[in-house]
Parts: sequence; C-alpha cells; structure tokens
Amino acid sequence: MTAQETLQVPGEALRVMVVDDHPMWRDAVERDLAAAGFTVVAVAATGAEAVARFPAARPQVVVLDLQIPPPSGVEVTGQVLAHDPSARVLILSASGEQDDVLAAVKAGATGYLVKSASREELVDAVRRVARGEAVFTAGLAGLVLGEYRRLSEPAAGPERPQLTERETEVLRMVATGLSARQIADRLVLSHRTVQNHVQNTLRKLQLHNRVELTRWAIEQGLDGEPDDPRA
Amino acid sequence: MAVSRAAGSLAVEGRLLRALAGLRLVVLLNAWGVGLWTLDGAERPAGVIACLVLMTAWTGVATWGYASPARRGPVLLGVDLAVALGVLLAGPWAKGPDFVATVPGFWIMAVLFAWAIHLRTAGGLVAGVVLAGVDLALRPDVTLTVYGNAFLLVVGGPVVGYLTGSLQQMADERDRAERSAATAAERARLARAVHDGTLQVLALVQRRAGELGPHAADLGRLAGEQERGLRRLIRAQDAVAAGAPPGADGAQGPYGPDGAVLAPGEPVDVAALLASLGARPGVEVVLPGGSVPAPPVTAHELVAAVVACLDNVARHVGDDARAWVLLEDLGAEVAVSVRDEGPGIPEGRLDDAAAQGRLGVRESVCGRVADLGGTATLDTGRHGTTWRLAVPREHP
Repeated sequence: MTAQETLQVPGEALRVMVVDDHPMWRDAVERDLAAAGFTVVAVAATGAEAVARFPAARPQVVVLDLQIPPPSGVEVTGQVLAHDPSARVLILSASGEQDDVLAAVKAGATGYLVKSASREELVDAVRRVARGEAVFTAGLAGLVLGEYRRLSEPAAGPERPQLTERETEVLRMVATGLSARQIADRLVLSHRTVQNHVQNTLRKLQLHNRVELTRWAIEQGLDGEPDDPRA
Repeated sequence: MAVSRAAGSLAVEGRLLRALAGLRLVVLLNAWGVGLWTLDGAERPAGVIACLVLMTAWTGVATWGYASPARRGPVLLGVDLAVALGVLLAGPWAKGPDFVATVPGFWIMAVLFAWAIHLRTAGGLVAGVVLAGVDLALRPDVTLTVYGNAFLLVVGGPVVGYLTGSLQQMADERDRAERSAATAAERARLARAVHDGTLQVLALVQRRAGELGPHAADLGRLAGEQERGLRRLIRAQDAVAAGAPPGADGAQGPYGPDGAVLAPGEPVDVAALLASLGARPGVEVVLPGGSVPAPPVTAHELVAAVVACLDNVARHVGDDARAWVLLEDLGAEVAVSVRDEGPGIPEGRLDDAAAQGRLGVRESVCGRVADLGGTATLDTGRHGTTWRLAVPREHP
C-alpha cells in the first residue's frame, strides 16, 4: 500500500471517526478535529459501536482509545482494517499500557499519541496518518525496538522479521525524542526516506503478525474461508 | 473434633464417599462369591443367602444415602454400623460355630471407611474398635490371621479418618487462597478502571491548561507530575503482578548501593528502576516493554550512571531541560541512551574536571560503566549530547 492511495481529494474534508468511552474526551477530540476542518463522520463509545458504525461512516482515519468497553481497541483495530484496509487507525491512549499499544500496532494501527499531547499535535497526527505516514512517539519506538529484539530470540520461530542497521538507527533516534526532520539532518537523508524507514519497521511487524495469525489459524483448522477477511 | 462444613471439606467428603460406593460394590460381590463358594459347609444356607440379600439391599440404600450431604447424619451412620454388626453376629448362627469366614467378610470395611470419612480419626477409631471387638468375640478361637484382620480394622479406621481430615484442611486452605487471589484480582481490576479515569482527567487538564495560557501553566505542570507518578505506580503494580522480584518497583531508592533490601544476586528490573527517573522534570523514559532483569549491582550502577548523565544535563543545560532516556535489552547486553538538546559538551571540559580533582562525568559515568565491564560512548555537538551506555548482563 502506498501513501498515494490515501491522499485526500483536494477540497474534500478528511473523514474521521472518534472512539472513546469518556464523553468529555470524545467531545474534546471531536471539537478539536472539527475546528481543524475535518469531518467527524461518527463517534462511538464502545468497541461494538465502533465496529457497527464503521462500515456506513467510511472514515479515512479512526482516532481510537485503547481502553474501551469490548471488543477492545486492539480488536477494533483489526476488525475495521479487515473491513477497509485503506483506512488508518491512530491510537490515542491515556494509560500507556505498553502491551496494548504494541498489540494495536501489530494489528495495523499506524499512529500512536498519548492523550496529554496538545491539540496541534493531535491535528497534525491525524493529518499525517491520513497521508499514510506512521506517527510515532518516542515511547512507541522503544516498544517496537523491544519487540524486534524479542522476535530475534531463536524461540520466536522461523521467518522472524529483522530490522536493517539503518532502520535500527532511525528507530533508536525516534526513541530518544528526535523528530523525523532532525533525523534527516543528522543522517543526511531526505525527510521522506526517514519516514519510509519508520514505516517499514511497522509494516514488517504487521506483516509478521498476519503471517503468524494465518499460521495459527491453519494449525487450529480455522482456515475454511480464505476469501473472507473477517473469517 | 469439630466437623467443619466448608465447601472444600464437603467436596472432599463427597468425592471420597463416591469412591467408597464403588468399593462397597466390590466387597459386596466378594462377599457373595465367598458366601456361595462356602455354602455347602454352612449350617443354614438360607440364612447365609438372607444375610447376603440384606447386605445387597443395604449397599443400595447406603449408596443412595451417602450421595447427599443432607442425609449423611447419625441415623445413616448408625444404621450402617448396625447392619454390619447384624450380619456379622448372624455368622455363627448361619454358618455354624466352626466358621472360618464371616458372612459379610471384607464388606464391613465399607462402614468403617464411611465412619472414618465422615467423622474422621475418632469415627474411624470407634467403628474399627466396635467391628474388631465383635468379630473377635464371635470367634471360638483367635488365630493369628483373625487377630491380624482385627488389628487392621482398628488401625485402618483412624488412618483413613486422619487422611480425610488432612485432605479437607488442604482443600479449605486452597479455597481460601483462591478466594483471596480472586479478591486481589478484582481489586486490581477496579483500581485499573479508577486509574484509567484519573489518567484521562489528568491528560485533559494538561491539554486544556496549555490552551488557557500562562496563568494555567502551573496547573498543567502539576497534572503532568501526577500523571507520571500514577503511571509509575501502575507500572510497579504490574511488575508485582507479573511476579517480578520484590524491590524492583523503583519506589524505594531507585539508584545507588541502597538496594541492600535485595538479596544479593537476585535479578532487578532495570526498566522499573529507570521508569522512576521519568518523575524528573523534562525527562522522558522510553522502555522496551516488559521487564529487563539484570544482577542488582549491574542494574543499580547502570541507573546511577544514567542519573549522573541527567544531573549533568540539569547542571549545564537547565533544570527543566528536555532529556530522553532509552532502555534497550540487547540480550547479552543492556544499553541505555541518554540524549539532551543542549549546546553540547565543550572539548576538554571532561578532562578539566578530572584534572581539577572533581569527581566529574569521567568518573561518575565512564568509571561506573567501565567497572561493570561496559562501554560509554559520547556523541556531542551543537545538536546536543547523546550518551550511550552498554553493559554486559553478566559481570565479568
């Protein structure tokens, strides 16, 4: 999937869906996104609502809290992306539960922001996620580095994804708080190249996750309906 | 002995009595076999058959009776013993005075075990003594085999009773443990919900405070501090729940050799120790997820070196200067990167400090890391300063 596929049609407002079980947060985020010129096509307070409203609302970006009534934010990420792979999921989490954040990213989320981020950061993150960019915090970069490290253990099974040296270097810089622009300057690369490196680290992790899920499904004899992504 | 009726005890009793029902059937079939086999020698074969029929009927009634906790009372136990004694006493009459095997034979062990299971050691002893006494009283002469059987009755009853009591005690203890574990889990679940709500509010306060302008900045800063504090607490709790070693929560002195509370050699979670540094203003700690165990000396010295780096940032860049701490678990090595966006360390400053006899960065960072057999690399310039400290997991 290239970033071009999800580029906005000029003149048309970005369609966003907000999923959060805290009304005050949902309202605040909705207000901020609307003020920035986005169209909030749907809101949801639970995972079930999110999954039910997603198909009709067809948002381009889902701003998703992980701590919601079931199904969890991680499951919602997987389900909405199975329904529409061109949609983008931006995790907006307060608890910073590391395992959940990592699971959501493996399930296909391409952005992660903590709730204490400012309004400008949120709006910028939604815009970038919609463009197909990965929105990383330093914290997420640290988690992803840790996950690759765990996957490099022999016990993790065959066909383990690996980071190139350059990708490790870039992730490490993101994890120590450097912006893509700063990294580009330090490594004498284009901003775009830095973005690609960051995105690649996520893409490989997500691909590996899908392969693992498929392998597990085949082992469990659940591979009856290969045509239906929701099966 | 007080007979407690805790759920665990009842379950143990029910299970043992169900097993006993099977045993009753086996010893009944054995009694029929022996009875029919020795029927020719019996004085009154009809009497023997009558006894066996009674035993069969009672086996059915007893099996039904013991199946329900409500029916396991003095009446059932009393009648059970009476029937056993009755068929035992009928032996000399039915089989003749020179009988070798009694009519019920081993069947009487069923009532013995029933008493032992329900009334434990005392019940087993009483039933054993009564049965053995009656059996011995009936015999014209006591052979060694007869004495042996009687002895087994007297000993077996209390032993089974004692074992039953022990099993019930263990079951009750297990129940209590499971209940307290469930309570703790529920408390943790409720706490998570409260914590999550609090974190949401603290995050919202920071966000809104930033928009309200300078007079609300303090409010935002306070909310930020509380948020970090709460996050640290949650992390420490998760570490405890995950079975991390005690003291790894970072709540007690996060650095220095004050880790004396720990048994030497017990691994310490470097991630938890470093997480506590996130409380320093401007410092963001980035962790790999999960715990990063290391020997206590390595962990505390590494964290002390990181603290020295952060102190250096505060001294030369500013108290509120932004700094990032990244922890990486590299398998054989544990690596920490500390980055700031200050003006960089001028060439020669580190050597000057050492030359002036001050315990500068050279000693507090490089020395510590070298003592652990690791390496400290410094990248400094106008873009800021990055320390990378890598130490081996196992001390050389």
